[in-house]
Amino acid sequence: MGKSISDLMRRVLTKTTVDRESVEALVKGLQRILLQSDVDIQLVYKLSQNIRDRSLNQKLPEGVTLREHVTRIIYEEIVNLLGEKQETLIGKKRIMLVGLFGSGKTTSAVRLGRYLQKQGLKVGMIAADYHRPAAPQQLKQLGDQLNIPVHYSDTKDPFEALQSGLSKFHKFDSIIVDTAGRDALDGEMAKELKRMYEMVKPDEVLLVIPADIGRIAGKQAEEFHKLTRVTGVIITKTDGTAKGGGALSACSATSAKVKFIGVGEKVEDFEPYDPVRFVSRLLGMGDLQGLLERAKEAEFKEEDVEKIMSGKFSLQDFYDQISGMQKMGPLDQVLDMIPGMKNAIPENLIEIQKGKLKKYKYIIDSMTKEERKGEDEIHSSRIKRVAKGAGVNESEVREMLKQYKQSKKMIKKLGGVKGMKRGNLAKMAKKLGIKM
Amino acid sequence: MFNILKKKLSNIVQSITKSVSETVEKVPKKITEKKISENDLSAMLEDLELSLLEADVALEVSDKIKEDLKKALIGKDVKRTQAKKIVEETIRKSLLEILDVPKIDLEKVVKQNHPCLIIFLGFNGSGKTTTLAKIGSKLQKKKYSCVFAAGDSFRSAAIEQLEEHGDKLGIKVIKHKYGADSAAVIYDAVEHAKAKGIDVVLADTAGRMHTNQNLMDELKKIDRVDKPHLKLLVIDSITGNDAVEQARKFDEAVRIDGVILTKIDVNTKGGAILSVCKILGKPIVALGVGQEYKDLKEFDREEFVGNLLND
Repeated sequence: MGKSISDLMRRVLTKTTVDRESVEALVKGLQRILLQSDVDIQLVYKLSQNIRDRSLNQKLPEGVTLREHVTRIIYEEIVNLLGEKQETLIGKKRIMLVGLFGSGKTTSAVRLGRYLQKQGLKVGMIAADYHRPAAPQQLKQLGDQLNIPVHYSDTKDPFEALQSGLSKFHKFDSIIVDTAGRDALDGEMAKELKRMYEMVKPDEVLLVIPADIGRIAGKQAEEFHKLTRVTGVIITKTDGTAKGGGALSACSATSAKVKFIGVGEKVEDFEPYDPVRFVSRLLGMGDLQGLLERAKEAEFKEEDVEKIMSGKFSLQDFYDQISGMQKMGPLDQVLDMIPGMKNAIPENLIEIQKGKLKKYKYIIDSMTKEERKGEDEIHSSRIKRVAKGAGVNESEVREMLKQYKQSKKMIKKLGGVKGMKRGNLAKMAKKLGIKM
Repeated sequence: MFNILKKKLSNIVQSITKSVSETVEKVPKKITEKKISENDLSAMLEDLELSLLEADVALEVSDKIKEDLKKALIGKDVKRTQAKKIVEETIRKSLLEILDVPKIDLEKVVKQNHPCLIIFLGFNGSGKTTTLAKIGSKLQKKKYSCVFAAGDSFRSAAIEQLEEHGDKLGIKVIKHKYGADSAAVIYDAVEHAKAKGIDVVLADTAGRMHTNQNLMDELKKIDRVDKPHLKLLVIDSITGNDAVEQARKFDEAVRIDGVILTKIDVNTKGGAILSVCKILGKPIVALGVGQEYKDLKEFDREEFVGNLLND
């Protein structure tokens, strides 16, 4: 079985017309991938039923391949659950965060506060978690760092905290309430949440779900929804390896849409939900955007492709590639676009994405035009000079040159990869930021 | 506990028994035995895989159960009356084999090392601090003296959280400022334990993503500098199929000794237990089953499997 849907599609959807056999094969593979991504089983059946029906019954539009057609259907069906666009919270005054233990509510509260603050809103936060030791202190410490006022109760009574907090912040644009993590099926904890909900009367209840949550997501979301009428979902910890399939279950159970995702350790690592990015990650489809857009690959000239295939790849090209990567997000996803390439690339090449890219740019910036052509070997005296100019160690310059050579080799290899259409190569090259 | 996994397994036993019995019934009455073919089972086995996936059981695990069932049934003469027993016993054996990894005797490790350093590591929000406090309380009850090391100097209020536990339990917390080097905090706690003759140092660490290379390097440093006697990975049982991936990456970084699964009371699926044992070959040391200090259960594979398969 192929690892990603992209592989699967490439394998089974080879015909140019709709054909039952290949659609069935695709649906079966898709089910497995969704199940492994923690999507609820009933939902998997429902989704695959819709995808099968639409793929078989909808007429293939002119000039669109079966693969592109089915991709669009899969995307639309999933986005139907998760939401199609970014939604704003402006004008929503009282926002309450709810969720299981350790899902990232407090962190999300602060990040959301920061996000709203950046939109020019005056934000206050109320700590209503008096179960987990030091939870209010956590909110307070983070709030202090960002100049967001935090209200909490010294008596450790969430209701008192809410009452006084709501009146204290009543003139503010937004009030964010951080609640304790709980099992929504636990009687006492459920009762407490319901009472808080009734007291706060929030305009927005955001359910916080970690990306790695298993199939329990649907059931818990359903319970939270019963208690508080969930209006949106925040997905946290998406910087790990988990696919975020639990989010689908949660959205389906609450009919709420995804609003934000947490993408890293820092306060700024918090973004409005972007359907294309999220779905491409869930499905492991690095080429989703490309397939959806039906990029105009014809615009690429034959000789440009030839240039890459022949392996002419200068340090300047490498530089552009690095700049492109920084804009694009996970390199793995880019590599997913090339059949069989992901495994062929050394792990450390993916690693360089973090932190080192910047240094590499400085190094190349410190080179002469001639050197950047990458035709001549760069020897130690030059390495010394470049290192000095870029303010890095000589070993780092050497390392960069090694990476460059590896990339050069890889680019050369691309020409020979089977199943790689010239158009695709050009498209990918464009994505990588290689100027042609 | 584990109601969902239990239900799934019971359904599997029933449906496979049924398909075996039906196969046997198709042959003339006088013959009470029939050889089972792969065809007779294939649909059932596919259902089994999906059914177990639904209980968060990883594919590697369901593959083994499937193979074991095939071995036990295909080409064999199965008596009608025996079908259920054979299916049940095969699954029982399969589960026990999956869980058959070398055990850790926490008390023994504590007795052998003075002071004994135990570190808790894992993903953000998995329950490290709570679990550490529970283990502290447990060891204290057994008359071992403990000290906590506030190795999580990253997350806001993490030190205060540990201190509240320390206050409640009467266990001293060794801490530095926020942003301090975790390895150094833990080192100081060990020095403190040596000076005061304390038996056990329980060290908290910051939650980290296994994909963050810098933080994983920090963990390696703690391992190198402080040389813990026991490295326990705390995994949230709410986690789906990613649990195994997380555990694998932590193990690659510092070679973990065992796993503690938390929030078992919230998740009735239990699949992660099987997945972690099978794929990592690491023992489950304990299960977190609630909010109180006493809510920490030792894991016993016989009991676990017995519980899953008995009505």
